[in-house]
Amino acid sequence: MSKQTLATLVAGLAILILLPLTQSNYGVFVLCSWLVYSISAMGLNLTLGYAGQVSLAQASFMGIGAYVTALMTMAGVPWPAAMIAAMVLCFVIGFLLGYPALRVQHHFLAFITLAFNALVVLVLRNEEWLTGGTYGIVGIPRPEVLGLPTQTPLAFYFFVLALFVLMAVALYGIIRSPWGRTFKALRENPIRANSLGVDIRKTTLLAFAIGSSYGGLAGSLLAQLTQFIDPHSFGLTISLKVLLMVIVGGAGFFFGPILGALLIVLAPEFLRFTEGYYLMIYATLVIVLMVFCPTGLLGLVERARAALKLRQNPNATTWEAGR
Amino acid sequence: MTKRALASIAIAMAISASLPNISWADTIKIANVIELSGAGATVGSNWRDALKLAFEEINAAGGILGEQVEVTDYDTQTDPTTSRAMVQKAIDDGAYVIMGPIYSGSVKVNMMVAQQNGVPQLTGAEAPFITGMGNPYIFRTSFGAQQSMPKLVKYLTEEMKVKSVAVAWVNDDFGKGGRDSFVAELEKAGIAVNADVSSEVGQADFAADVIKLKSSNADAIFAYLHEEESARLLKEIRKQGVTQPIFGETTLMNQKVVDLAGDAVNGVRGHVGLTANAPIPGIEEFARKFEAKYNYKPDHNAIKAYMGAYVVKYVTTKNGKVDRQSFADALHGLTITPADEPGILMETSWDDKGEVNRESFLVEVKDGKQTVVTTLPKL
Repeated sequence: MSKQTLATLVAGLAILILLPLTQSNYGVFVLCSWLVYSISAMGLNLTLGYAGQVSLAQASFMGIGAYVTALMTMAGVPWPAAMIAAMVLCFVIGFLLGYPALRVQHHFLAFITLAFNALVVLVLRNEEWLTGGTYGIVGIPRPEVLGLPTQTPLAFYFFVLALFVLMAVALYGIIRSPWGRTFKALRENPIRANSLGVDIRKTTLLAFAIGSSYGGLAGSLLAQLTQFIDPHSFGLTISLKVLLMVIVGGAGFFFGPILGALLIVLAPEFLRFTEGYYLMIYATLVIVLMVFCPTGLLGLVERARAALKLRQNPNATTWEAGR
Repeated sequence: MTKRALASIAIAMAISASLPNISWADTIKIANVIELSGAGATVGSNWRDALKLAFEEINAAGGILGEQVEVTDYDTQTDPTTSRAMVQKAIDDGAYVIMGPIYSGSVKVNMMVAQQNGVPQLTGAEAPFITGMGNPYIFRTSFGAQQSMPKLVKYLTEEMKVKSVAVAWVNDDFGKGGRDSFVAELEKAGIAVNADVSSEVGQADFAADVIKLKSSNADAIFAYLHEEESARLLKEIRKQGVTQPIFGETTLMNQKVVDLAGDAVNGVRGHVGLTANAPIPGIEEFARKFEAKYNYKPDHNAIKAYMGAYVVKYVTTKNGKVDRQSFADALHGLTITPADEPGILMETSWDDKGEVNRESFLVEVKDGKQTVVTTLPKL
């Protein structure tokens, strides 16, 4: 990592620490939900952007994480245990959901994960004895970290920020590890990866499992943030929203989902002055982006950088310029 | 730029930063946190338009305590989480009273935020649990389902001599709350439930649901769904030639359902808390003003919002000050009559939980119009 990158990261972190201090409670709430959705989108980015497996089930893992955390903390289990349990359960279920991905690809896999999401929502709704059914669960406690309560929006923000940084660092480690490289190999050309000795089966399952556990953690935090969950909050639309975050930001780029989540969480805020038209404008923007830059916003940046380098050094190949 | 210019800019910035964060003009801020997009947009826009109408009238007549009222709309997108964020934003913006939302699932989440900040909230939601959670800042603008269902069941047993009912309901907070209250009342009255059919929010095809209702051989059908789904269900019921009488509560006979389903609504009977067709001078006058301004017929949500606005005016004027706590304290156990405040339209009382009590109506839809059959007294 160059000095310049490090300086940028430190500056970014400083902004994340200082920004909420200038915001109203609502502003802090929006920042919190951005971080929570970023965690979820980072997980999906691993599954989709790096390993190339299309999943429309991220919201269901958020749901599982949220319900496990809510039920366990409300039954008196300490929050770290509840949140770890949520992540482990999502890891296991994600691992199992990865099995169909061994046999089907692309839009068929999308349908399978979509069905899984619908199934989870139905279970959450119909198993009233456990989940409270349509009424959902109200009054989920916020954690107490090292004796400090996180009842106030600001305190909870820093709790979420800490976990966000932890998960981002962990993901960075995963992507740079041999695992990360096998994920990419799987996305680019599974047959070739296999011929080079990559265990496709294990890699696919792991990509699903790790991505799902990120979703589980995001769900845990979401439950504590809103202190209310119901099955409807984890429906297909939320899965599509998380998918949109990954794609708009740039699938396969480390900061892609974080940028995508920022845009999608904040878009209604930016467009508020247009009153009733904001959903239409928002939809149009997404269409335009997808038509002109299917690799997302960071893909656009990448392309611009390559074009600039090509102009400076016309003899370089595109590949060299892109480096 | 000279040093002097820099210094004067710095001083100006310092002064502006040190000013207290209050609004410049003397205005009372009302936050309208309501469904303006998503599944609830139909009811939300009725509510918003009526609220606007009411506060325009109030402002034209000199405002409240000499101050103008400023209404800001916050769109919940019919999503509980967003609605919570919007209530938070409304409170940050300095709202005196929060109006809305209508969807019970949203109210359940955001009423906690309003409660923590001590901001009174006048909601349009009807699910029973809202007033059962011990929140001293929540007030209804219409009946909870637990109040209206007994009135309807009484009518079914005493007037219609019904022995069995098939129930169709929508599986969300609103539908389930209403269905549970209704079925509990049926049990008390000894009426059998022959079919219990749940459907989804936004469901398009009701063919299978209607087959179940029809084949249940119940004496009557009771439907408790949102407006758009009600319209689709009724159309399908007519298409399959169901002969049993159809009953509902408020939403089923809503103007929006009549607009959407047309003739299919004719003959439907039920209980409504409020209707624009009530033979009450205040409501008739309101409906006329509303239709003249917006060019469509108001539904019960519009009446709720209109009356809610005048509740804010009456209580604040009575208190003589713009104070949230006094507002909440004063509204508990209060009865307002149209003589006190013409904008209130009908005599209404609030109990210590924020539940309302007023006259209500049994209506039948005839030629696309709600016709009041009987006016039921206050409980």
